[in-house]
Amino acid sequence: MQRPVSTLSLGSSVIVKLVSNGFQFSADLLHLTALQLRKETGLTQQEALEVLQAVGRGEGGGGGASMTALDLLQKEEELRSIVTFSSQLDTALGGGIPVGKTTEICGVPGIGKTQLCLQLAVDVQVPQCFGGVGGQALFIDTEGSFIVERAVDIATATVQHCSLLAEDSEQREAVTTFTVETILSNMFVVRCRDYVELLAEIHLLPNFLSQHPRVRLLVIDSVASPFRQLFDDMSQRTRLLNGLAQQLISTATSRDIAVVMTNHMTTRVQGSHSQHVPALGDSWGHAPTIRLLLHWAGARRLASIFKSPGHADATVQYQITGDGFRDVEQSEQPESKRPRTETDQSAASQRDDGVS
Amino acid sequence: MEQLELSSRIRAAARRANLSSVGDVLCFSGRDLQRLTGLSRSDIDQLIQAAAAAASRSRPITALILTRGFESGRRLSLGCPVLDRLLGGGLPVGGVTELAGESGAGKTQLGLQLCLSVQYPPHHGGLGSGAVYICTEDRFPSRRLQQLIGQQRLPTDITCLTFTDQIYIEHTADMASLQTCLSRRVPVLLARGLVRLVVVDSVASLFRSEFQASDWLERTRHLLSFSSCLHNLSQEFNTPVLCINQVTTVTTMVTMVTTASQGPHPLSSSVSPALGLAWANQVLVRLMMHRLQGTVTHGDQSSALRRLEVVFAPHLAQDGRHAAVWTEGVRGLEEDA
Repeated sequence: MQRPVSTLSLGSSVIVKLVSNGFQFSADLLHLTALQLRKETGLTQQEALEVLQAVGRGEGGGGGASMTALDLLQKEEELRSIVTFSSQLDTALGGGIPVGKTTEICGVPGIGKTQLCLQLAVDVQVPQCFGGVGGQALFIDTEGSFIVERAVDIATATVQHCSLLAEDSEQREAVTTFTVETILSNMFVVRCRDYVELLAEIHLLPNFLSQHPRVRLLVIDSVASPFRQLFDDMSQRTRLLNGLAQQLISTATSRDIAVVMTNHMTTRVQGSHSQHVPALGDSWGHAPTIRLLLHWAGARRLASIFKSPGHADATVQYQITGDGFRDVEQSEQPESKRPRTETDQSAASQRDDGVS
Repeated sequence: MEQLELSSRIRAAARRANLSSVGDVLCFSGRDLQRLTGLSRSDIDQLIQAAAAAASRSRPITALILTRGFESGRRLSLGCPVLDRLLGGGLPVGGVTELAGESGAGKTQLGLQLCLSVQYPPHHGGLGSGAVYICTEDRFPSRRLQQLIGQQRLPTDITCLTFTDQIYIEHTADMASLQTCLSRRVPVLLARGLVRLVVVDSVASLFRSEFQASDWLERTRHLLSFSSCLHNLSQEFNTPVLCINQVTTVTTMVTMVTTASQGPHPLSSSVSPALGLAWANQVLVRLMMHRLQGTVTHGDQSSALRRLEVVFAPHLAQDGRHAAVWTEGVRGLEEDA
């Protein structure tokens, strides 16, 4: 491969030694052993090994072996999704929040982003015999909005729901260990106050996940608030966010974890009119695989899928009850059949408070 | 940086590259760090891991431990059982609570009342500490405070509580002095344990008066830094912050009329809290106080009917209670009239 040696992920002194001894491209290094390389360039054993590793990495096409689309499909089918407890949203998402992908939830304050996150952190633990994932959850709280009493409420309702559903002996046995206490003890919470702490936590993630291999859900609530404080250098913010997104995507795919992050909304002014758009800019919009927008339409809460490679755009109605994130009862259903026009109206009515 | 557990070789390389804090290290990608320091890949991994371990203040703990924690479920009582029930015990400790409403709705009354209730010991719903009250629009209503103090009925196990000398009052008439107050004086008071409640009355006035409509972007920048400053204070010192906010009238649209019949709702009401989304994103609990038509009487006193509503909160449902302002303070009405 004609990749210049200077672009390899190596220390500058090593690169200087390589180039000055005539190794211009990574292909020049491919067939050498560490001993030969040391003789040629005067590198130490450790440096030589790192060089060969870096060259090998470049050739391997980025870590894992390539898969056919069929293999990938089978693998994805084995991975279950995390149900949201709103059957309409689950249907729209093809079963729930997918494991192994990144999902972003955007919405105005008070719409229920944190509620959905808490619901997911409980739902990920639903035992496999009930069609759940039976995993653990890590909740990175950057806003101080993780209120444990609320988690207890949602966990209690979920346990009740499962114990009512239990039919065969396997399920009945699973219910005995699926209690509020076990749910809470399988939910890890860490609080980050600023972006440095958030970045640190992401760097420590591989270690944590190795210690807790059952974690299937990572929640960051919210990714926006640490990055919306004053940044002197906006290009640095973009760079950090891109790095963060890369790390999250690789964590999601390599460890089969659903990554869910919440984002604020902000008002974008274009000429004379303004509209609500997700915060953190346009380049961030490419980071999550799925973007879910929660918004008001009058007094009703709607969830819209507005970016997803695998699902059609859809809008469903939901409600936040004492038990958590739920469907709206069937009797009220017909009202939600006209989502399109309602959405436009809500955007129009919110315009005013944004610019006030 | 010097405290990281690293070999002196890596530390020296980091020093040469002008990496003075762990934040600097974490803000560069591994590739950039290699270029800056000239270290090898595995050295950089060590450096990043050490920096990350130093920067993270706490390890993930389970929610079960949180429920058993010392501060778990701690609330600051409003000094009225009816309103406390509405708020699930009171204001959450550690988080910004916003109280919005028209002028005369009773916002300042509730702020004053909290300055007193915070001074009670924990088993009476307080936090056993003082309060700092930041006024940006009016003079601090000290006469009303005196009146409230005179009306306090101390529980029998408390012999002396001198309310006035535990309330610190700041008048800030412009943005600059508000900034100094929040970045210098308030942290000192909090760090010394003299206060455990910050009231800002009101957040809107300065932002609404100092910025023209055309300074929109500048205003948002200031607003973001101000709100994150309050948020950080509240998180760092585990202190409730109450921000009193004005309201702005939402032009009623045709669609509003159809939704208005569906009951109280943030979008269906004709007023909404001022300052827009940039501010609202940082608020944990949003309360609204309305002045309604009608009066209520209690003994020989009469008061305009008011309503305190929870607009959003991560742990509460949307709900509301009627309330009235008496000589002894804001009190919820037992039954919805």
